[in-house]
Amino acid sequence: MDKNPNNYCPKVLATILMVTFVAVMYVNQQALIYQMGLKVKQNNDVYTKLVDHNKILVYNVLNLRSPVALERRLLAKEVELSMPSKWQVVKIDHSPKKLVLNYKNLAKKDPLANMFVSGR
Amino acid sequence: MYKGTPSRIRKVLYTLIIAFALLCVRLVFVQLGAAKSLSNIASNQYRLVVPLLPKRGVIYDRNLKELAININLISIFAEPFKMKDKGIASQKLASVLGLSRDEIYKKLNQEKGFVWLGRKVSPDTARIVRALNIKGIDFIKEPQRAYPNGVIASHILGFTDMDNNGLEGLELKFDKYLKGVTGYRYTIRDAKQREVPGYEYKEIQPIDGDNLVLTIDSLIQSFAERELENGFKKYHAKGACIIVMDPFTGNVLALSNRPNFDPNNAKAAPPDFRRNRAICDFFEPGSSFKIVPASSLLEEKVVKPSDKFFCENGEYRWYGHTYHDHKPHGWLEFRDVIKYSSNIGTMKAAQRLGKDRLYKYIKKFGFGEKTGIELPGEVNGITTHPNTWSKLSLCSISMGQEVTVTALQLACAMSALANGGNLVKPRIVDMIQDSTGNVIQKFELKKPQRVISEETAREMRTILRSVVDSGTAELAEVEGYFPAGKTGTAQKVEPNGVYSHSKFTASFIGFVPSDNPKFVIVVIMDEPRPFYYGGVVCTPVFKKVAAELMSYYKIWPKEKEVAEKKKKKPVS
Repeated sequence: MDKNPNNYCPKVLATILMVTFVAVMYVNQQALIYQMGLKVKQNNDVYTKLVDHNKILVYNVLNLRSPVALERRLLAKEVELSMPSKWQVVKIDHSPKKLVLNYKNLAKKDPLANMFVSGR
Repeated sequence: MYKGTPSRIRKVLYTLIIAFALLCVRLVFVQLGAAKSLSNIASNQYRLVVPLLPKRGVIYDRNLKELAININLISIFAEPFKMKDKGIASQKLASVLGLSRDEIYKKLNQEKGFVWLGRKVSPDTARIVRALNIKGIDFIKEPQRAYPNGVIASHILGFTDMDNNGLEGLELKFDKYLKGVTGYRYTIRDAKQREVPGYEYKEIQPIDGDNLVLTIDSLIQSFAERELENGFKKYHAKGACIIVMDPFTGNVLALSNRPNFDPNNAKAAPPDFRRNRAICDFFEPGSSFKIVPASSLLEEKVVKPSDKFFCENGEYRWYGHTYHDHKPHGWLEFRDVIKYSSNIGTMKAAQRLGKDRLYKYIKKFGFGEKTGIELPGEVNGITTHPNTWSKLSLCSISMGQEVTVTALQLACAMSALANGGNLVKPRIVDMIQDSTGNVIQKFELKKPQRVISEETAREMRTILRSVVDSGTAELAEVEGYFPAGKTGTAQKVEPNGVYSHSKFTASFIGFVPSDNPKFVIVVIMDEPRPFYYGGVVCTPVFKKVAAELMSYYKIWPKEKEVAEKKKKKPVS
């Protein structure tokens, strides 16, 4: 066997380099994981903040839409609403689809009839 | 081998061998003996368990409108050991948090590592404190229960404590469904105790609380509360309650009490304001209880509506006790006894029934036991066994004394008359859904029990219609809808056991329309002043709620019948 120490040198150096490289890669990987985690956390924080803000806005909307609040506002503006009587209600039997069809039929029969339905 | 070595080297060698042997012993001790505890100490230093709070379930009304939701608010805490100048910090925080400087200073000087300065503060307050940038002051998010409708349905919903545990109402009763299960994130922390992102090694997701869907309609609840509030204020009552119920299903559409409270700030209201009087308070109902003996008499066929009773011109002596009518009457048909609410006529009729049969019907109508509604704190009311009755009891009970009931029991009893003779079980929770909307539990309608025949119920409806048409409850008339009902005015019992002459419980229980009942409405006023008759103080509330209900459900008035009625009635 070759016992000359000079022959070991490149191998030891190569090993040291390899180990150093692996160590650096490991540290770099850990740093990347940390960075990514941080980014995820930041994004999550933004998301949570927006969700929380949304919840508060939803609460405010519900609050404004609550019958008590609406009633209070109407009373403050002296707007008194009441349900219409039977004679004040007009019931339309046709569905909107049928109405459109009827208008189309009308238009076919009489082109001038269109002027009465334009603007629908 | 060591023969040639100098003794000094040998000594060093021996010393090293001994030292190495000691280290080995220590190593064995550490590895085998103390490994677990030392490992725990080490892992506790860097491991961190972050609790993940679940969302508390939402409470919806029957139209899936939110009655109770959750929002996240910020709580402010201090770590006093990190703070440098506590005096200046206290000064700065005092004005923002609305506390005195001394109060904050005292908190910061406690020998604690963690002190709450403000829990669940408004977003604006949190923003201002954050801007102060004080070292040692930190923030944490906490879920807060919020009730967007404020006082509406407060007694039904109840409220939660600072840690979101249900304390009253449905929040208490269904706490185990609503609160969900806390999750945990297992991760590591750095030297400054901060969570290191990206190093989570285990995560157990929280399970959000289940949602409740109620039978309540928030709009009906709203106008029922408004009208009750008006009546409560107008008659300076000590307390009041209203129940709107579907007589066929037992679904409670509205239930409200006065005084009330805002569940968003429940601790500001005294405990008395938070009591759900409709189910937790029992009272002597007075004449509104006459529906029970009247139905029993007709059902047992011991009395016909046309049978006549002499009402003693308003004063009747029975076993040494004098009973009075609020107005003197002579001979009255049984239907008019109820119509004019004659105590004397009712007690004379009840004597034909006898105490055992009366008691049987009291129990059949559900008095003396809980209705089983899904609300906490319901009471039974008191109905004593006929064996314990005195000679006066039959008379007293037939006119609504010596018996105590809850408003909800009255609503159920009246429902039996309205729906054709079946006693329904009231319910206020329709279903429980999980957080994704799947139905977990549906509260099915319970099978009603027949109390009286359809014929008797029809007869009773006719009599009760006459009470509103031309009897004691004329103020309850809603033109075109023909409501029916029974008034009640009961003397309250003073602490010395004597009936009061100044304190009354007024009531009106009715349904609308009388020919095809859709809603049963119960209105109770406790100690109204200066007027105290149920026919005066409770009927206007009934009338307005009934009218709004009809409009809301698009039930049109019967104009033909109204015109006919006007023709028949002489112009006064």
